Amino acid sequence: MIAGLRYLAIGSVLVGGLSASPAEERPAENPVGVPAAPELADGASGADGAASEDGAPTQSSTQASIPRPREFYFTRAMYSGFSRGFSRGSWSTDYPKADQQFLMLIRRLTNVDAPERENPIRLDDPELRRFPFLYAVEVGYMNLTPPEIEGLRDYLLAGGFLVVDDFWGSREWANLEFELRQVFPERPIVELPLDHPIFHSYYDIEKLVQVPSINYARRGVTWERDGRVPHARGILDDDGRLMVAINWNTDLGDAWEWAERPEYPLAFSTFAVELGVNMIIYAMSH
Amino acid sequence: MMESVFEFLFKYRPFVFQEGELTLATPWPLVLLLVMGVVVAVAAFMSYRSPRGDAGPRTRTALSGLRVVALSLVLLALAQPALVLTSTVPEQNFVGVLLDDSKSMRIPGADGAPRHELVDSVFAIPGSPLMQRLEERFAVRTFRFSDIAERLDDLSELTYDGSGTDVGAALLAAQEQLTGVPLAGLVVVSDGATNTGSDFSQVLLPLQSAGVPVFTVGAGDAGSAPDVQIERVELPASVLAGSSMLVNVVVKASGMRGRTVPIQVLDGGSMVATESAELRGEDETTVALVRLEALASGVHELEFRVPPQDGERVAENNSRAMLLEVEDRTEKILYFEGEPRFEVKFLRRAVRDDDNIQVVVLQRTAENKYLRLDVDDSEQLAGGFPKTRKELFAYRGLIIGSVEASYFTHDQLEMIADFVRRRGGGLLMLGGTDSFGEGGYAGTPVADALPVVLEAAQPREDADTLRITATRPGRSHPVTRLQGSQSTFSTWSDLPALITVNDVRSLKPGATALLRGSTGAEGDDRIVLATQRYGRGTGMALPVHDTWTWQMSADIPLEDMTHERFWRQLLRWLVDGVPEPVTATLSAPETDAETPVELRVEVMDEAYLGVENAQVSAAVSGPAGGGSIPLRWNAEESAYTASISPSEPGLHAIEVGVNSVDGSPIGSAQTHLRVADSNREFFDAGMNTSALQRLAEETGGRFYDRGNLDGLPEDIQVAGGGITVTESRDLWDAPVLFLVLVGLVATEWVVRRRKELV
Repeated sequence: MIAGLRYLAIGSVLVGGLSASPAEERPAENPVGVPAAPELADGASGADGAASEDGAPTQSSTQASIPRPREFYFTRAMYSGFSRGFSRGSWSTDYPKADQQFLMLIRRLTNVDAPERENPIRLDDPELRRFPFLYAVEVGYMNLTPPEIEGLRDYLLAGGFLVVDDFWGSREWANLEFELRQVFPERPIVELPLDHPIFHSYYDIEKLVQVPSINYARRGVTWERDGRVPHARGILDDDGRLMVAINWNTDLGDAWEWAERPEYPLAFSTFAVELGVNMIIYAMSH
Repeated sequence: MMESVFEFLFKYRPFVFQEGELTLATPWPLVLLLVMGVVVAVAAFMSYRSPRGDAGPRTRTALSGLRVVALSLVLLALAQPALVLTSTVPEQNFVGVLLDDSKSMRIPGADGAPRHELVDSVFAIPGSPLMQRLEERFAVRTFRFSDIAERLDDLSELTYDGSGTDVGAALLAAQEQLTGVPLAGLVVVSDGATNTGSDFSQVLLPLQSAGVPVFTVGAGDAGSAPDVQIERVELPASVLAGSSMLVNVVVKASGMRGRTVPIQVLDGGSMVATESAELRGEDETTVALVRLEALASGVHELEFRVPPQDGERVAENNSRAMLLEVEDRTEKILYFEGEPRFEVKFLRRAVRDDDNIQVVVLQRTAENKYLRLDVDDSEQLAGGFPKTRKELFAYRGLIIGSVEASYFTHDQLEMIADFVRRRGGGLLMLGGTDSFGEGGYAGTPVADALPVVLEAAQPREDADTLRITATRPGRSHPVTRLQGSQSTFSTWSDLPALITVNDVRSLKPGATALLRGSTGAEGDDRIVLATQRYGRGTGMALPVHDTWTWQMSADIPLEDMTHERFWRQLLRWLVDGVPEPVTATLSAPETDAETPVELRVEVMDEAYLGVENAQVSAAVSGPAGGGSIPLRWNAEESAYTASISPSEPGLHAIEVGVNSVDGSPIGSAQTHLRVADSNREFFDAGMNTSALQRLAEETGGRFYDRGNLDGLPEDIQVAGGGITVTESRDLWDAPVLFLVLVGLVATEWVVRRRKELV
C-alpha cells in the first residue's frame, strides 16, 4: 500500500514535472559552479581543461564575494574510452538530458541544494575534488589513462563517491573490472545486500529492478546482451564505507532521460529515481 | 653596628627615639633661655670684634660662630632635654612569643644550619640572655604555630613538622588567648612564608585597633639561593580517554637564569612524558608545554618534577603530585542538519575512529522527512528534533547546521539555550545558508548562547572565500593547535581557503575567537571559530560552509589528518566538562591527614532542575577500608555538602549515591582524593622579609634579624602596648653633647693658636 502511494507520488512528479524540456526551464543566468558542456571529439582522451572555473569555488585563490556554491553538483565523469559508436565518447551517453532531468527530480523530491545544470569533469582534473559525488556511464567502454587512474584513486580515497551505471553483460563487466583493478588492485568487488544502508537512506528499496534503456523497454525486454540479472555491487574502503557503487545490467540514466515519455514504463523510472536519490543521500552522509 | 654607635652617642637606640617624644625639662621659662642665648651670642661676637693678630674678618666671623654654637650647646644642656616615653609598667604586662613550628623551618641556610636554629638557640632555651631579659620585664607566654596556633608549655614540643604556615591566624589565636591580660606585644619568630591562602592584611586591623604591636624576627636568609620550583600545573581533573593534552607546567626559579632543566612526568613511577625548559631570572616563571597522551582509563597519580639541580637547598619543591581521571565513556553529540550536506559525511568520517565520540545525526532530507544515523534504537529521534528537555538533555553536545530558526518552536529555541545554560552542554552552530543571522537566529534565545553577534539578514546568494589564520589564543588552544605528527601543516593559513555564506564579524564580550578569516579586502575580517562560556556550558560558532575542503582538496595529501584532528579536537572540547545530573567536587583534590576537605554534591533531575530533598551519602574507601558519610542540604550553596577527613595516606575513592525521599535511586557520582604528607611548606619557602617588615611597621612594632635582636626587650617596653606609665629620660648627659662641645672648643682654640690670637 505504502509502496503504491510512493509509486504514485513519484509518478506524478515524473509526468507533471518533466513535461517541459529542462532546457526551457533553465534559469537565465548560469548557475554557480556549472561548467559549460565540453566539446569532445573522441572519448575524453583529447579533452583538456574541460571543467571551466565559471563561478565554481576555487580552492587556492582568495577573492571576495563569489556566487554562492551549492551543496551538491550532479557531476559526470569524463573518462577516456573506446570511441566506437559514440559521438563524444561513451562517458556522454544520455548526456546532458539525463543529468538535467534527474537534477530536476532531486530538487523536487528532496531538500538537496543542487543547481539544475549538469557538471561534467575529467578524472585527472584537480577540480574533481570539489565534487564528492561522481557518476559514470557505459563503463564497459572505459579505458583509463594513468593520470585518470591516479586521479580517481586519490579522489575515492580522499572521500569521493563513484556511481557507475549502464553497462551490460559479462564482456562489459570484464572491462570495468579490469579498469577498477587498475585503480584498486587489492580491493575486492562485493555484492551489496538489500539491507545495505544505501538502499534505505531515503527510500526503502526492497528489491532490485532491472531498468532497461528506452529502446529495449519499447520491445518489452529489460536486458541487454547476456546481462539478464541486475546487480548492485561495490568497493569498500578500509572502514567499510562504500566508495564505488556499481549498477550492473541496468540503466538508471536512460530511465532519468526518458522519464517524461509516456511509452517509458513508470515502474522503471520510479525505481531509477529512487535508487538514484538513495545513492546521493548516502554519498552525502556516509 | 650602626645601631650600637647610635646608642653610645645618644644613650638610647633609634627605635626608642622613634617611639618617644623630645621635650625640654627645665623649670626656667623659655624666654629667659632665649634672652640668655642672645646675650651669649652678642658677647661672643664682641669678644672677637677688636682686631688682633693677623686674623681677617672671615676668620673672626668663623671663630665667633664656633663660640656661639658651643655656648648654645651649654645652654641646651641647661634646658635639660629629655625623651618622654610611654613605657610598660614592669612585671605587669604580658608578651606572647610565637614560634614557627612548620616544616619550612628545617630549610638550611647559607651556613648549612636550619632556620629553626635561631629558635633553638635564642627562644627555646629557658634562661637564654634574651629570654631572661624578657622575663625580667614581662610575663612571657609561648606559642607554637604552623597552620594552627597553640600554647607551648614545654619548649621541647617543637617538632618543625607543621604542614602549613599561617602567621595571621596564629597572631589572632594568640591575641585571643591573651585576651583580658595587659598585652605589651607579640613576638613572631618565623620565615614568614605563609602558604595557607590568607595574608597578613586580614589581621592588621584587629591588632591595630587593640593596640598590640607585633615584633617580627626573621628566620632564614634574606638573599635568594639557587632554587627551582614547580609553581603550578594546569591539569584538568578529568579527561576523556584517547585525548591528547598539552599541559602547562609553570616553573619558577631564582638564581638559575638561562639554565635548561628537564621537566618529567611520572605516572605511578614510570616516565610518561618529558620536556625541557629554559629558566628565566629572579622569581620569574617559565611555562613549559608538556604533551600527555595515550593514558589508560582510570585514575592516574601523576608527578610533575624537575630533578634537583646543583646548589639547590630545597628539593622538596621540585615536584608536584596531581590526580587525573581518564574517563572511558562515550560522549553523545546530536548533529541536526537541515539539508543533505557533505559536511555531514566528512564530519562523521573525521571522528569515526574516535571511540569516545558518538555523533548521532538527524538530517532533514525533505520536508518532514529525516535520515537518522548512529541512533541507539529505532525510536530515537523518530519524531524529528527533540521536543522535550529530557530528550534533548540526554546529549552532551549539540551541533546545529543549516536549519532555519523558524523550524523550531519558541520552546525548542528556549530549550536549546537551556541545553547550554542549565544543562551545561556544548552547542556548536555551523555555517550554512540557513544558520546564524541568515537563518533568522538574531534575537532568539539561541543567539544568546552563541559567542558571536548575529545581525538580522536574509540568506545570501553570494559567498566569501576566507583565508584562515589562528588568533593568538587559537595557536595554543586545545581545539586549534596544530603541533603534532599527524598534520602536514604547521599553520592554518597554509590550508586551503574556506567559503562562508554567513556574515559573522563581531565577537561578544567575553568570547574568544580561535580562528579568523580574511576575504583579502582591507579590514574585512570574519570570525571562523569562536567559543564562550554560557551559563554552565559552552557555546561555539563555526560560520564556514565547507570544512570538508580540508579533507577533499587536491592540495591536501591523502595521509594528512588535519581535518580529522580538527573535528576530533573540536568535538572533544565541545563536550569537555559537561556535567552529569549528579556531580561531586572536592574543595581540594589532595590533602594531608590533618586537613579536612569539603565534598560538594549537586543533584539535578533529568531536566536539570535542582533537587533539594534527596538523600545523599558518600562512601569513602581508602587503602585501609572506608565508611559512609551522609551529606546535608546546604541552602546557601544549593548543594549537598560534607566534610571529609580521611586519616590514612593513599588514594581514596568517593562514591556518591543519591536517592529520592522514597528511596528510589536518582543518580551517582564518583571522585577521588589523594591523602599524602604535604610538602607545600617547601613551596615559596624563601624568607618573606617584606611581609614580616610590613606586619611590624603597620602595628607599631619592629622587624629584627639575628644581628639586632638584643634590643627586643627594651623595644617592647617602649612600644606603647599594655599597661604603661609616662617616663621621662634625660638626654642632657648624652655623650654626643659633650663630644661636640669639646670638639667645638678645641677647634676654636687651635684656630686661635694658628692665627696668633693667643
